[in-house]
Amino acid sequence: MMNEHFSENDDLLLKSYDAPVTARERELLSSLMQNDHALRQQGDQYSRIRELLLRPEPDSFGPFFAERIMQQLKQRASEIDYLIFFFFKKYQVLAIGVLVALLITNMLLTDQLTLKSLFGIDQQTTEDVFSIDLYKNLTE
Amino acid sequence: MEQPSDEVLIAKSNEGDMAAFKKLVTRHEGKVAGVVRSMLGATPEAEDVGQEVFIRFYDALSKFRGDSQVSTYLVRIAINLSLNELKKKKRWNSRFTSMDAAAGKGTEDTMDLNEQLNYEFGRLEPEFKAVATLRLIEGYSTEETSVMLDIPLGTVLSRLARAQQKLRVALSKKLK
Repeated sequence: MMNEHFSENDDLLLKSYDAPVTARERELLSSLMQNDHALRQQGDQYSRIRELLLRPEPDSFGPFFAERIMQQLKQRASEIDYLIFFFFKKYQVLAIGVLVALLITNMLLTDQLTLKSLFGIDQQTTEDVFSIDLYKNLTE
Repeated sequence: MEQPSDEVLIAKSNEGDMAAFKKLVTRHEGKVAGVVRSMLGATPEAEDVGQEVFIRFYDALSKFRGDSQVSTYLVRIAINLSLNELKKKKRWNSRFTSMDAAAGKGTEDTMDLNEQLNYEFGRLEPEFKAVATLRLIEGYSTEETSVMLDIPLGTVLSRLARAQQKLRVALSKKLK
């Protein structure tokens, strides 16, 4: 497709469409266009191509494009929620096992089979209270 | 009634107002569609890329600092994703080159000028196509094109010239 050699004149012609040209370049181009029929024809062809390519009005992806995006975002949010739920579900059994193990450890350490001991809540016996009071009396 | 600015809609979207984000999508769909469809043609992938552009924008909303206009930002994402898609397509098509060549042969004579222009535009190298899309189809200035594609102005001008030369040579018969 690209086997034609493009001249400096052609480059200058194209430059004039997209970039500022100096007064000297403008003068040169004007003279070339007057005398070079082929270049003038190329100029017409470029103008036609540019005219055809320029979009006259905004394009569109078709009706309900915005709705489809919103739907996709909504769907993605629910997928994330599901992934979080699934992640926790996966480790649910393990978490319950660890919890039970901790409760049993607490129970064994306190040597008591009560709800308070299960949750590691300190329990004071009557003797403990009495010994504290006795200590207080001795120090006062 | 005055329409809320992009900045207002972005702030609302950041607060979880999905209706505000939908307004942004509707407002900028035209620009994004123009760029993506010029780059990829009116293909099913074009709409997928279009959706991806807005989803990426949604994900980046909180980081959007407003240094550039929303449309400029979206066009930049659109061009980058389209170029990625073209690369993917090229890898895929390279396995079926002979089939493509056979399919393309003999059709140019039956096309009218507009059809052939679209066809030849689709055959431009991705880098040329990106520059030509922004400057020749979307009508951005060469400076804006240079900023959006993050390439020097001289590169924009030379790619633009090569793209137009290719199109003119390919269409020379029909342009006479």
